[in-house]
Formats: sequence, structure tokens, C-alpha cells
Amino acid sequence: MEELLIHIIVPIAIFGFVALFTLFAVYAERKIAGFVQDRLGPMETGKYGMLQTIADILKLLQKELITPKVADRILFATAPVLIFVAVFIGFSVVPWAPDFLPANTHTGLFFLMAVVSIDALGILMAGWGSNNKYSLLGSIRAIAQMVSYEIPVGLSLIAAVMITQTLNLNDIAFNQGILANENIYFLGLWDVSEIGGILAWNIFQAPHLIVVYIIFFIATLAECNRAPFDIPEAESELIGGFHTEYGGIRFAFIFLAEYAMMFLVSILGVTIFLGGWNTPLPNIGVIKMADWTTGLFWGIFWTLSKSLIVVGVQMWIRWTLPRFRADQLMSLCWKIMIPLAFVCMAISALWRILVMV
Amino acid sequence: MEKFLFYAFALLAIGSALLVVNLKNTARALFLFFITLFGMAGLFLFALADFVAITQIMVYVGGVLILMIFAFMLSNKALLSDMQNISTHFLSIPNWQSLLLSLGFLTVMIYGVITWQDQMPNWILENIKTGDIIQATDNNINQLGVKFMTQYVLPFEVISIFLLMALIGAAHLSRKEEQR
Repeated sequence: MEELLIHIIVPIAIFGFVALFTLFAVYAERKIAGFVQDRLGPMETGKYGMLQTIADILKLLQKELITPKVADRILFATAPVLIFVAVFIGFSVVPWAPDFLPANTHTGLFFLMAVVSIDALGILMAGWGSNNKYSLLGSIRAIAQMVSYEIPVGLSLIAAVMITQTLNLNDIAFNQGILANENIYFLGLWDVSEIGGILAWNIFQAPHLIVVYIIFFIATLAECNRAPFDIPEAESELIGGFHTEYGGIRFAFIFLAEYAMMFLVSILGVTIFLGGWNTPLPNIGVIKMADWTTGLFWGIFWTLSKSLIVVGVQMWIRWTLPRFRADQLMSLCWKIMIPLAFVCMAISALWRILVMV
Repeated sequence: MEKFLFYAFALLAIGSALLVVNLKNTARALFLFFITLFGMAGLFLFALADFVAITQIMVYVGGVLILMIFAFMLSNKALLSDMQNISTHFLSIPNWQSLLLSLGFLTVMIYGVITWQDQMPNWILENIKTGDIIQATDNNINQLGVKFMTQYVLPFEVISIFLLMALIGAAHLSRKEEQR
């Protein structure tokens, strides 16, 4: 009974977090947009406009559900649920703190990649079900982009997994700090198992992973359909892309899924490349900063703050760079990122065999 | 609980598969195919093949199914109505072939059930005796990797060459004809 209760409480807690994060992130996004564009952003609702997104969500929740007359009703209704569930399941294997994660499986990373790829099906379902040419075009663009960019994401993850030698996200996070089960070498030379901190993160264990992380970051931006890769939702040409016809709570779910996806890829990148829940502060002599700042609550704190910084960078990029054209997007993916990812994969293999032994 | 889940997944897979072949609406049938694949992945989990289950979702849902839907969207209406007309004649040739196939599979399965019902094969019994079995919590990814690179390296390479051939073929087909 107790076990069953945990199985119910954990998803609800994650859902609550995702919903809260979305509210916070939309506000942050608008404020960042305001800052970048030299204006104030939302200011009317509440102090500094803090209640703006809460007002928005209340409006969305009480809106009438409108289904277009010629839409495929079943597909139209299931699509937002599928999109959200696909992203939501992804959170089930991500570690938050030492041994503090919903499901500790050996196939964690692979599982995450697989369930996130269901997301594409949901988007296609939304586009087809709406029976609207803008929606269909938007979803076709989205799928073309997501399927292409899944390859650099996958390759960069393989390059990282070759270094870590495990798909278990919990183990991956463990082996990047003072709690590691094996010896860690900074740049493959200097044993930092006792020192930990930022020196033990995967990107510094094997320096080419910095390049891999950049590939991963850019490719996941495209996976989330975020600017500068937001041609699936390009307002100026496609109205709103695959969610043109959606309103009310269904739109809220699609929106929730988009922000959940942003956070998911951020926390995934943090777990694999940036040390997960490990502290960035190293042990220096008697000042055991890494020992002091490792633990359950510190772990959650570091995971959250690192991920939120990455989300912040995503927003910063969105409001700084102009949108890519479809052909530029594809040539960036196929001609630059995939070959680069392959090279990094080869370096990973050599690094593992020759340096890490 | 496990038994219930097993039958739930089996029912999901079989029921949705039956619906897929019976639905008139091809788009819905394709999307429903996802449920079939998902149910199959669940059944793989019960065989302790979690890696295969996830690969099933990743390759079939993330790749094949989406390509199928794309192919459906890009094909014209005349072609589609042709396809739908075939299934209205009950005793046309494709049906006979499929009937033969399904009967063949049924025979194989019945044969399997009859031969292995009384006792497990010797190699299974031996492995149970020596304790050489996989537990649900074991990490069998490493074993898979080692097996792929040693015992099954030839089939593995043949498959990769086959996939490469398909890739080259696709690239060749989609290339523009050279101007002469």
C-alpha cells in the first residue's frame, strides 16, 4: 500500500513542479524579452506583473473547448494529452539528488530518448487532427525538424555515454563528483576523486565533451521547437503552427509540454555533462567545500539552479537570434552538427581506450 | 498485479491490432498502430528484454510510424482509395495469402505449445540448476553489447551494411536527374 502511495505521490509532485515551473518560466520569459527589447514586460497584474501568468492560466482553464467542425475529433482531443504525457514520462528517470530519483533503471537515458520521441507523434496527430492547412504544415515542419535533430542529440549522447560507460542517469551523475565509485581524472591526467567540484564534471573529465555539450544544447533547442528553430510555430507565416486550432485547457497542455520539454532537456544536459546534482565547489585543502555542499537538499538545489540557468540561456537565445530558414536549419543539422558529432564520438572512443583506460 | 498487467498489455496489443486492420479511416488506423507497438513494448518488458522494449518504441514509434504517416500524407487520394477498395472483396488474392500465413503461424504456435507444455527444454532446466539466469534487476545492456561485438558480429555487420544500402538507395532516388 505504501509503495502504491509513493507511485501516486511522486508523479503528482513532478506534475506540480512542472506546472509551477511553467508559470514561473513564462513570466521569466516575458521579463527577459522585455529586458532584451528594452521595455518593461508585464507590469499591470500584481507587483511587477508577477500575477500575469496566473491570470493567464486562469483564463485558459475557464475557456470553452472548441473543436473545429471538420476536425478528427478523437485525434484532436488526444493529441495534447499525448504530447504532454510523452514529455512528462521523461522526468521519471532524471536524478535530482544522490539516489533521489523516481525510477533508477539501467536503461534510463535510452528510455528517456525513446519516450521523448513519442512527442513527435503527438505533434503530427495535432496537425492532422485539426484539419487545417496551417496546422498540418506546421506539424510537418516540426516533425522534419525533430526527426533530423534527434540524430545530433543521439550522437552527442552516445559520445557522452561512451565516456560514462553506463546509461543509468543516477550512475552518470554519481561519477561526476566526490561520491564517485571510480577514480575521476581532470582532463584525463589529474586525479580529482577527492577534490570533486567543477573539476570532476564530465565536460572537464574529457574536454571534447564541451563541444559535444554545445551540439547537444543547439540540437535540443531545435527538439523543443524553440527560437531560433521555431519555424513550426512561425506566427508570421503559419498563424501558430500545429496548435493553431487549440484553445483552453488543451492549448494549456501543449504549452505546458513545451516548457516541460525545455526543462527536461536542460536537466538532462546538466545531468550528463554538467555534473548533475554535484556541487561546482571543489575541496581545497582543509576547506572541504565539496563535502559541505553535497547532500539531498544541496543536490536538489544544484540540479535546480544549474537547470534554471540553462533554461535562462535558452530564453536569452530566443530573444537574441532571428529565426532560421528551413533550408539553413537542415544544412546546419546535416552538414555541420552531425559530422561534428561523429568526430566527437570517435574522439570519445579513443579517449576512453587511450586516456581513461 | 503482474499477471493483470501482462494480460492488459496483451489485450491492448491484440485489440488495437484488430482495430488497425478494420478501421476505414487510414489516418486513425496509423495513429492507433502506436498503441499496438506500445503494447508490444510492454510485452517485451515481461520477457525481461527492457532494451528491446525501448528500442521498439524508439525505432518503430519515433521512426517507422512517423515515416508511415508521412507517406500516407504525401500519397494522393486516388492511390488511397485503391488501397481501400481491395479490402472490400473478401476472397481476393491478398486475403488468401494472409489467411495462409496466419494459419501457418497458428500451426507453429500450437506445435510449440504442445511440445513444450509438459516440461521446459533441457537447456532451460540446466541453466536454472546452475543459476545462469537473468534477474529483473540485472544490467543486461553490457551483455548485449559484448554479444553483439563477439558472437553475433557477423549478423550485426550484415544488418548495418543492409541499412547502409537502403540509405544509399534513398539518397540516389531523391537526387535530381543530372542535366544533359
